[in-house]
Amino acid sequence: MKARETTAGLLWSSPWIVGFSAFLLVPLALSLWYSFTDYPLLKPPVYVGLANYKALLNDARFWLVVKNTAIYAALVIPLCTILALALAAALATPRLRLARFFTAIIFLPTLVPMMATAMIWLWLYNARYGLINNILAAVGLPGPNWLENPAFAMPALVLTALWGVGQMVVVYIAAINEVPAALYEAAMLDGMGPVRRFWNVTVPMISPAILFNVITLTIGSMQAFVMPYVLFRNERGQRAAGDLYNLYLYDNAFVYQKFGHASAMAWMQLLVVLALTGLMMLAGRKLVYYRRGK
Amino acid sequence: MTNAGAISRRMAIGALAAGGLGFAAFGPRGGKERSDGRLVLDYWEKWTGHEGAAMQAVVDTFNASQSRLFVRYLVTNSIHQKALVAILGGAPPDVLGMYAFNVPSYSEANAVMPLDELAPRAGLSLEMYASGMRPIMTYGGRWYATTNTAGTLAMYWNKALFRERGIEGPPRTIADLDAAHAALTRTRPDGTLERAGFLHMEPGWWSWIWGYFFGGTLYDPATDTARADSPEFVRAYEWMQSYPRGLGLDRVERFRSGFGPYGTPQSAFLTGEVAMVVQGPWMANLINAFAPELDYGVAPMPVEASLYDEARPVTCIDTDVLMIPRGAKNPEASMEFIAYTQRQENVEKLATAHCKGSPMAAVSEAFLAGHPNRGVRLHTAMASSPRAFVAPSTPVWPEFKDVFDTSMQDLWKLAEPAAERLPKVQATASKLLADAAGLRRRRGEA
Repeated sequence: MKARETTAGLLWSSPWIVGFSAFLLVPLALSLWYSFTDYPLLKPPVYVGLANYKALLNDARFWLVVKNTAIYAALVIPLCTILALALAAALATPRLRLARFFTAIIFLPTLVPMMATAMIWLWLYNARYGLINNILAAVGLPGPNWLENPAFAMPALVLTALWGVGQMVVVYIAAINEVPAALYEAAMLDGMGPVRRFWNVTVPMISPAILFNVITLTIGSMQAFVMPYVLFRNERGQRAAGDLYNLYLYDNAFVYQKFGHASAMAWMQLLVVLALTGLMMLAGRKLVYYRRGK
Repeated sequence: MTNAGAISRRMAIGALAAGGLGFAAFGPRGGKERSDGRLVLDYWEKWTGHEGAAMQAVVDTFNASQSRLFVRYLVTNSIHQKALVAILGGAPPDVLGMYAFNVPSYSEANAVMPLDELAPRAGLSLEMYASGMRPIMTYGGRWYATTNTAGTLAMYWNKALFRERGIEGPPRTIADLDAAHAALTRTRPDGTLERAGFLHMEPGWWSWIWGYFFGGTLYDPATDTARADSPEFVRAYEWMQSYPRGLGLDRVERFRSGFGPYGTPQSAFLTGEVAMVVQGPWMANLINAFAPELDYGVAPMPVEASLYDEARPVTCIDTDVLMIPRGAKNPEASMEFIAYTQRQENVEKLATAHCKGSPMAAVSEAFLAGHPNRGVRLHTAMASSPRAFVAPSTPVWPEFKDVFDTSMQDLWKLAEPAAERLPKVQATASKLLADAAGLRRRRGEA
């Protein structure tokens, strides 16, 4: 009976197993192999050992994209987390009028296709006709040349990431609503004000949600592609300042036909993401509070 | 345990099997023969809109001209990536419409078929094409591609603005260009730019060409070496840097940021914000569509005074190509279709609709007289100029070009003097070429 159940289970899950193997496991294994080869796609791969990894470590553009991506992630992760937490705390306030309406408004940008959002930002950042600089001009401030001045390219990119915090806000609101009201009552009886209640009650109680969001944000920010591609790959964009890791990976694979390099980059990225996720999970053991049951 | 509403294993397997059989019987297939017995050829092309419609018209006349072959015109975006995957997967189309820069990498990888024998059997010879087109069509001494149109770059100048400033005729030398630029540039009372005579970055598509107008060349195919730091290139890019320096970098960047994209009525040449641009013959399509009142002239791009030769203008040729991918089911049939597109009447019909020049050595007077671009005679003649040049014919060109593009932006933004930056570009390019040569040796290729 047990064997029959196992067979039936395997049979029913076979479409997923086949799909997972064919479209993830096998490509993953192949990409590891390709990372040790010279593989220009149109010719068969030839084993080159660690040459791709060595070449990348001696490649100025590789280090530029690593630096840019690290800066981007270092800015996006805390800023998005703080903004999402602040918005969620405000929207989860009991008796707030139109809370659902505002939540929907904040969530709405995440429903817009990334490409469309990127095109909107492209025009918002236009130095002459863009809305942002026109608003700055209305209050007497000189608007920068957002996308073409290297000093402003990265802040401009980070600002676009803040636009997409809606999903995090929804997760935080759900988590905040799960915090037992008795804890807030006890904190109020202890004389805690709203800020201390947020810091000493809300944040610890929603820490699993924060850990989840920070991990997904870390992975997402290290894999940013569409927004920098649209903002900085047009003929007027500042390529170098907005050059992120995945753009170079894409170039290697599909523009320069250096699939070995691209695979090496993908594996290096995977290892870094795994290491960072592991570190965060490790830190989470001490910093994150998991409630057991209700 | 059984449940009347549950699906039994037999039913599930039966359903899966029925689905599989249905897919096999009625699912998509790479059918290569129509019910009327005609062999179907798939032609992947990137052209859409009016360019696609013009090519479709050529395909339609081919399909109507005989009863053995039927060409399916399939618009394919991101064609380079899709062609790679299709060729790699052993399911390529029969004819591939690609970019000129794809020819070296596809040819070297043996991903496209040489035409040295196929093309003559279909009645084509390299001598039928303008001399400037031939380096695009060949690689390593072999013929790999044909081309339907020619895109020679020239200077488009706004005659009304020239008249307004009392400048006679287009500039012929770099010094003339500088003088015209200075005279045509206009500043508003608040100090912002209202108009620029010439900006190298408008539209900024060919960052690597300027050295050629100073007598340089970026790549020597005979020795497979880059020459990005030659004195000619250093002079050219120092000249380029004199423009943002003279106009004020922030001021000119703010000015440029307001230009509409190419292909819109707000693009800078159409609005009169820039008086001279280097563009291909397709520019006239934009002018005719969005600014028909614009009185424009077409002239060769100015060169250093010592290089000026009216009979031998310097121009860059940038065009699209047709190739037969390796693995195409019936190369002779593919070639037959390609040869049909290369007939003078078809080339001229397509080039007229695309507003491009003809790539052929022989051009009809009717084509020149009826073309929508008033500068078509110049564009066509330049395709045969002995000083016409094409993008470096090396498989590493896309990466080399990216290095150049990024450096060009830095140079334009005055981040570094040209004399210091170009040797770095040269070092990077040399390494790219050396690495590629090393890998070729490792593979046992010549």
